[in-house]
Order: sequence, then C-alpha cells, then structure tokens
Amino acid sequence: MGVAIARGWQGYWAAVRLGWAISSNWTRPLLFIVYSVLRPISMALILAVMYAVITHNSAAARPYLAFLIIGTAFWSFIQEGVSEFATGILEDRGRYHVLKYTYLAPLDFPIFLVGRATSKLASASASVVIVLVVGTFALGLPINALAIDYPLLVVACLLAFVAIMAFSVTLSMVLLAGRDSHGYGEIMAQFLYLFSGAIFPISLLPGPLAWLAALSPLGYWLELCRRAILHGRVYEMFPQLSDGEVLGRLVLAVAGTLVLGYFTYLISDRMARRRGYIDMESNW
Amino acid sequence: MTQYSPLRIFFKTVVARAYPRVIATWRQVAWIFFDMAFPIVGSLAMVLVYQGLHAPRQYLGFVVMGGAMLAFWQNVLWSMATQFSWDRGNGTLELYTIAPTTFEAVLLGMAVGSMITTTIRAGVILVAGSLLFGISYASGGALAAIGVFLLTLAALYCLGMLLASLFLFYGREAWHLATALQEPVNFLSGLYFPVRALGSYVAGGASLVPMTLGLDAMRQLLLPGTPVFIPVGLETTIVAIQVPLYAVLAGVALRFLETRARSEGKLVTRWE
Repeated sequence: MGVAIARGWQGYWAAVRLGWAISSNWTRPLLFIVYSVLRPISMALILAVMYAVITHNSAAARPYLAFLIIGTAFWSFIQEGVSEFATGILEDRGRYHVLKYTYLAPLDFPIFLVGRATSKLASASASVVIVLVVGTFALGLPINALAIDYPLLVVACLLAFVAIMAFSVTLSMVLLAGRDSHGYGEIMAQFLYLFSGAIFPISLLPGPLAWLAALSPLGYWLELCRRAILHGRVYEMFPQLSDGEVLGRLVLAVAGTLVLGYFTYLISDRMARRRGYIDMESNW
Repeated sequence: MTQYSPLRIFFKTVVARAYPRVIATWRQVAWIFFDMAFPIVGSLAMVLVYQGLHAPRQYLGFVVMGGAMLAFWQNVLWSMATQFSWDRGNGTLELYTIAPTTFEAVLLGMAVGSMITTTIRAGVILVAGSLLFGISYASGGALAAIGVFLLTLAALYCLGMLLASLFLFYGREAWHLATALQEPVNFLSGLYFPVRALGSYVAGGASLVPMTLGLDAMRQLLLPGTPVFIPVGLETTIVAIQVPLYAVLAGVALRFLETRARSEGKLVTRWE
C-alpha cells in the first residue's frame, strides 16, 4: 500500500514537472511571466475601460468594477486549467506522440492528468496575484492583503480546483475522439466564461441559461472569492445567501461535477481504448 | 519544355494556395461552427457586461462590430502569421522553397483564401449579433464603410504577411507569440469600446494595427454618435498608407529571413 502511494506520488510529481516544463521552457523565465500575465491583464483592462466609458468612474459603480476585476483575475485558473490543459493533452498525442507511453506507464492515467492540470493551475496563480495587484494599485480597488478572509478563499479555491480538474480531465478525454479538436478547449473555456459569473452576474443570462449556470460550481466559487477579498464592497451575485450557504452550494455543485465527470471519464476512456484514440494520428 | 511567364506563375500560385484555404473549410464542418461561435460567445459576454453596466444600446453595436473584426484578427494570427511556422513543422515549407515560385505569391494566396472564408464568417457574426441584440446601423454610411472595410482587410493581411515572415524563425514560441498578441491587441484596438477612451498616445500607438483605425472609421460611419478618435477621412488615409507599407516591409522581411533561415538550416527544422 505504502509503495503504491509512493509510486503514485512520484508519478504525480513527475507529471507536474513535465507540465511545467512544457508550459514554460520555450522561453526565458521573465518572458514567460510576462506572457502569462499579458492575457489576464489585457482582459482586465478591457473591462476597466468599458466600465470607465459607461460609468465615468462614479463612486456608486465601484463595487461593479471590483466584481469585474476579481472575476477576471480568478478566471485565469479556468483559462489555464481547462483550455491550456486540454490543448496540452492533445499536443501530447498529436504533436509529441507521447500520450500512448504515459497511458501505458505503470501509473494510473488519471494521476498523470491531474498532475498536468496541477501545473497549469500553479502557473495561473501568478497571473491571479498580478491582476489583483494591478487592480489595487492601477484601478484603485480597496483590496487590503491583511483584511482578506484567507480561510474562506482557500477553501473555496481548493473546492473549485477539484471541480476544474474533474472537468478538464474529462474534457481532454472526450476531445481525444476528435482528429482535429485542437482549439476546442479554448472554445469550451469561452462557453464557461458565460456561465461562470466571471464578468457579469448570471442573473443577466436568459432564464434557462441562468438556471444552468446556477448548477455550475464556478459562480459560487467566484462569489466566495469576491466576498473573501472585498466583503461588502463588491457587487454580490447572491446577496440573499450567507457565506455558509454559498459554500454549501459550492460543495454540492463540486460533488455533482465530480460524479458526472467520473462517469463521463469512464465512458470516454473505454471508447478511447476500443477505438484507438490514445495513439491516433491527428492533424498536426 | 514550356516556359511560363513569372507573372503567370505568380497568379497561378496565388490561386493554388487560396484554393485549399477555401475548400479545406468544408472538410472540417465543425470548425465552421466553432469559428463563428468563438467570436459570438465572446461578444455575447461583452454585451452582457454592457447590460450589467446599463450602457446605451449603441455600445452593443460596438461589441458586435468588434466581434466581426475579431474573426479577421484571429485569422491573421493563426492562419497567416503562424502558418509558415506550421508549414515548416509539417514539411510543406520545404516544398514551397524548392517550388519555382515566390513566397509572396504563396502568402498572397493564403491571404486571399483566408479573406474569402473569414468574410463569410464575419458576415454571419455581424448579422446574427445584430439580429440577436436588435442593433440598427446608419444605412447612409454603408458604402463608405464597405470601402473602409476592404482597405482595412488589405492592410491587415499585409501585416499578417509581415508577421508570417517574422514568425518563420520561431518554433514553439510562434504559438505562444500568437496567443500573446491576441488579447492585448483586442484591448489596444478598442474591439469592445471606442478607441478614443484609451487616450491619444495609446490609441495612436495602437493604430499600427490597421484594425484600430479601420474599426473606428466603420463605427463612425455606421453608428452615429460614436466618440471620434480622429476623423474618418484621416483614418482611411492612414489605413490606405499601411497597405503598401506593410506589403513592402513583408517583402523585405521575407527576403532577409529567408536568407538567414537558409544559412542556418531553419527552413527544414521539424517541430522544434
């Protein structure tokens, strides 16, 4: 048992290091950091300018700016964890032709996938911090690092990471069925953008879509992040719910994502083995 | 043996390279859907942000027009700028190099093929977005806007040719460079807001990307009341100057980098 755990940990850590190396060793570390933050910062600036154009920076609208910037900052986890991760797995198969070896290795394949996803989430954390710093100093958000409710933030983020990993691992397995599915991860992340409440309250979505969005853990996670960082000074999507109630909903939604992801993974894994998707030549 | 004139070879190359661009679109039908869905979903998100801010309806038009232009910028980045890098990876660049034609003809063919397919997609995005969000345009400026649009496309794809030459030297970096150019350009070119909001210095710098001025000019023509960055006439003139400027620069960069790539053996490097 102990040996199995040690081997699993070793494999997991190797996958984390591999993911990190593939993500970052194409350039120098400094350039990689600049590259990592360009996208989220640009996104935050787009929203800040849109906000400024419409509200003329009125004090009454400041909570909404905080809503936009914090949502954009934490969105990096989804961008990296879903889009970049799915692309990475497809590259492993089609471009580097190594997926078949990792699949055959004496290590559970999901452990490898979780390791790869971990490296993506770790690299996203730098851009989250930098966007929040930019938001504080350049856009004047009243974020005080000493006043953040860290326990709430950490619990919410850990739960969300479980959901993101479950989703992205399953998605990458499903995408293996496509010969030219490169880029679908990015599109999926875009769709999640709509349903997550990252840049607008999910109540603005048309009825059925708002109902669907309420089933996703992402909205509750982002709500808790906003509350943990700027409680009372940020626009809230669920003002009638207490922190505990939002956390309860997050736990339920994460559990649902895990169960759904597990069964979808089993089906797509079986299909991938039967139809030869793991080592299929794809369009690279 | 029949000798064909260089001009005939040039145009035949343009047609030959444009052909697979148009035909290949229909080989992967799912991509047609996703190519359109991507800008529409992005635009929808921005529309909902404006609705959350209780913005005037006119701003929704900004977003839809920006979404349509986004299709072109993505196409320039992924199907022009990174193309030689991909071609080198899959071995096609070697064939281009030994073929009795010019890289310019190949690039022009790529641009023409891309323009045709992307214009159809952008048209669908514009029509669908406008109907979905109930946006109306000033019909009086339509003809002039079409002219500005064509000019912007020409400048944008000439910029794409220039980027393709520069990207020739990159391996894995090409992919990341294209990704890095996406969101910052979306911001600087005022894809979702009037570019005037960026101030004259930033917007002036962003004008190096033809989409910035072209989009602003089209908005001024089609959405009256758009905050004016600089007058339409001047914007159009600058975009018109960018067409030959980027074309010449692309040619120069191509010669220089081709020579360097030949001497360093970079033309035949596979999947760095």
